[in-house]
Amino acid sequence: MKRWLPLALVALFCAALLAVFKVGFGKDPHEVPFMLKGQAAPAFNVRSLQSGERATLAQKKGHPLVINFWASWCGPCRMEHPVLEWGYRNFSSQVEFMGVIFDDTEENARQALAAQGGSSLPQYLDPNSTMAVDYGTSGVPETYFIDSDGIIRDKFVGPIDPDSLRKHIAALQQPAAAAEATK
Amino acid sequence: MNVMLSFSLVAALALQIPHAPLSAGSEMLDPTREARVQELGKQLRCAVCQGVSIADSPASMARAQLDRVRELVAEGKSDEEIREYFVARYGEWVLLEPPAHGVNLLVWVMPGLLLLGGLFLIVNYVRSAGPRPAAEGGSAAQAPAGSDPYLDAVRAELEKE
Repeated sequence: MKRWLPLALVALFCAALLAVFKVGFGKDPHEVPFMLKGQAAPAFNVRSLQSGERATLAQKKGHPLVINFWASWCGPCRMEHPVLEWGYRNFSSQVEFMGVIFDDTEENARQALAAQGGSSLPQYLDPNSTMAVDYGTSGVPETYFIDSDGIIRDKFVGPIDPDSLRKHIAALQQPAAAAEATK
Repeated sequence: MNVMLSFSLVAALALQIPHAPLSAGSEMLDPTREARVQELGKQLRCAVCQGVSIADSPASMARAQLDRVRELVAEGKSDEEIREYFVARYGEWVLLEPPAHGVNLLVWVMPGLLLLGGLFLIVNYVRSAGPRPAAEGGSAAQAPAGSDPYLDAVRAELEKE
């Protein structure tokens, strides 16, 4: 019995070490966890860049919503601008689009949009980036997909491509369980 | 060719970073509450940096998160409520000091266990390698005659000499 005790201790230690490694090595160290998937979208109250009117989540309830966080100083955001314009032209009858300006001034945002030939998407100002942090963004650009019940179905990190945008919008038209099953 | 390449790189960088983010940021609070903001900021991991807190990072994302901490402190939220707000969005990953429960508990407990295990092995080795007490094992010379034929043969040889 006494002879097996050190071996049992070493085996226990190795098992604990393996458990820690399994949890640690299975993850991308650069990936920021996203905990709001499947949760109710946080409320927001932001001002339109174009009209100056305020928009809230309560007003948008009942419509699927695509929210894109971007900034004028972000190169990849400029790259994805034409994709969002294409998405707005093709899918604005199915979903509502919102551009939310992250950590930027109104003037910079206006200049950046003018340089890109304007924006069809309604754009909103997020002073102090309150809405961005409430939504758990980990940088820009990021695009959130919210269903008509106000549940965050998914988010896309980085500049979105037309195929991903189309697939995510199609998933918003289906019930949550069916959308997960088709992934 | 190299000059052209360098020029292209500089031009590409200039296009990527036309101007710095310049949002105003939130107003500082009174010294006591601002100290709380900084203390909480030091406990929260910056999303776009490598192991740096939001209080220490100059990144725009970190600044936005620190502004949110400031707003929550101004709203009268407790430290625990503010940590929970960030954990609800970014998971426990956001805490620079992981809480001691679940698998995290192993990380806290294992160094101590390892030390105790090592100590146990050393003590065990020293005790087994040291001289045995006479009463326990006795020496071969004290073994009763007839118990081992080889020992008896050695004894017989010694007696002859």
